[in-house]
Amino acid sequence: MRDIKARVTSRTDHAPGLFSLHCSAPDLAAGVRAGQFAMIGVEGRSRPFLRRAFSVADVDRHAGTVEFLVKVVGVGTACLSALVPGEEVALLAPLGNAFTASDLARGDRVAIVAGGVGVAPFPLLLRELGSRGVVADLFFGGRSAPDLAYRAKISPLVTGAEKDATDDGTAGEPGRVTDLLARTLGGGGGYRRVYACGPTPMFRSLARVLDGKGIAAEFSTEAPMGCGFGVCLACVLPKPGGGFLVSCQEGPILAPSAVDWSRCR
Amino acid sequence: MTSSYLSVALGPVRLANPIATASGTFGYGLEFADVLDLSSIGALFTKGLSLQPHEGNAPPRICETPSGMLNAIGLQNVGIETFLREKLPLLAAAGATVFANIWGDEEEEYVEIARALSGAPGLAGIELNISCPNVRKGGMLFGNSPEATASLVGKVRKATDAPLVVKLSPNAPDLVESARAARGAGADVLSLVNTFVGMAVDPETGAPRISFGTGGLSGPAIRPLAVRMVHQVHRALPDAPLWGIGGIETLSDVLEFMAVGASAVQVGTANFRDPGVSARLVRELDAWCAERSIAARDLIGRTP
Repeated sequence: MRDIKARVTSRTDHAPGLFSLHCSAPDLAAGVRAGQFAMIGVEGRSRPFLRRAFSVADVDRHAGTVEFLVKVVGVGTACLSALVPGEEVALLAPLGNAFTASDLARGDRVAIVAGGVGVAPFPLLLRELGSRGVVADLFFGGRSAPDLAYRAKISPLVTGAEKDATDDGTAGEPGRVTDLLARTLGGGGGYRRVYACGPTPMFRSLARVLDGKGIAAEFSTEAPMGCGFGVCLACVLPKPGGGFLVSCQEGPILAPSAVDWSRCR
Repeated sequence: MTSSYLSVALGPVRLANPIATASGTFGYGLEFADVLDLSSIGALFTKGLSLQPHEGNAPPRICETPSGMLNAIGLQNVGIETFLREKLPLLAAAGATVFANIWGDEEEEYVEIARALSGAPGLAGIELNISCPNVRKGGMLFGNSPEATASLVGKVRKATDAPLVVKLSPNAPDLVESARAARGAGADVLSLVNTFVGMAVDPETGAPRISFGTGGLSGPAIRPLAVRMVHQVHRALPDAPLWGIGGIETLSDVLEFMAVGASAVQVGTANFRDPGVSARLVRELDAWCAERSIAARDLIGRTP
């Protein structure tokens, strides 16, 4: 990891309170792997005390920029929302492990399950899968249509089918994205691997859906992080049989069986 | 960084410079090797070590608060065996000055750990944690009464010749009396302060934001309280070497703690948000002292 001072180059708004921040960080853009994250800090008087964790959503290696997808939920994300191009952020990165894709070959099929802003780590993964000729279906869920506003960016990268679900039925099918996947798996699916990122209830129900199916899966976990590099021990997840694992250090990409989802809040 | 301007002594402890990193905020040191040279800081204090590995409290464990944070990690650690086998040799190879922070449920556990650590190659000393507010037994209970403090420190003192640092609790009813008790029982150096017991609640549900209920408050929010306490103890016990701790982030914070009587400081929560901060403070203090042709040790206790 390095502590990188990076300039904000641009911002793209997807929906109210949902935007992408693009920052100039050529070394990070060149070296980061899909699934890794950064702890983003902002200097200044009104800054939040701790940095906040964000998946690297995408990179532009030619321009030397990295993209982070931000949903405004509290003081940390509101602070990022106030940034304008030219301002500086501190990026502690790259952190954590990465999705596995190197074992996949042309013609393999995978499913990506994204819940709301949990879609963040997938543009970079889709680029890697695409370069390998892997066919990736995207299952994208949210509470309401605006939660799926990132679709305009991610759709061109999806090489397979796209299936949406919203709780209120304003986009895609009404209901849960995990139910969509369950129905597809019922009809075969033929997936080599399922990649997922979203809120804890989504992981819990997805772990149930996948249980006993014999499909490898990788979840990009999220737990509130203080430091991002294994020191504060805040971001722990309960292990089956007792004890905790440290999400930022042993993850954030974990097999569903590594976590006791029934003990997660 | 070795500079004649920066060396300080705290009783038997000799440091190349007065900037250390506080227990619980610096892991086992090795996590920071990417962003700083571990030999450049005065000392590092490990995560609180127990006889056996300890899994800590259920999440959520931390909560950001104005200018700081609450934590109730619950002393999750790898245990002394793993520390001695896997961490200390690497720290020694990196040239780090290492203090092992230790804790237990019972006096005997502290004694046993102190014995096990005594003479470990690469260990500069031991810091007794009698001030952690986030475990049900042990921890702060030993720090809350001068009698319990004296009894524990006395027993550990008999068990080891290693330089002995005792980390005091700001939650003790009378910090000066706790300090006097620890010194009287053989503590070489006192560290003050640990975190202040605090609480934060979700306004919607009324539930505590941390699963333990209460947590330890740290960060710049506690700095003036910690400065006052260091000053108070230094006035009462001018011969006791003190390690000042509490929301230190900048050079001026370091100078402030030294002025009120700290011979050295420990940078804590700032390590989370700025992992390179301690090494930077060494460089800044070096430049500041060189510019004024003043030695760091002459900065100690200038405040009336």
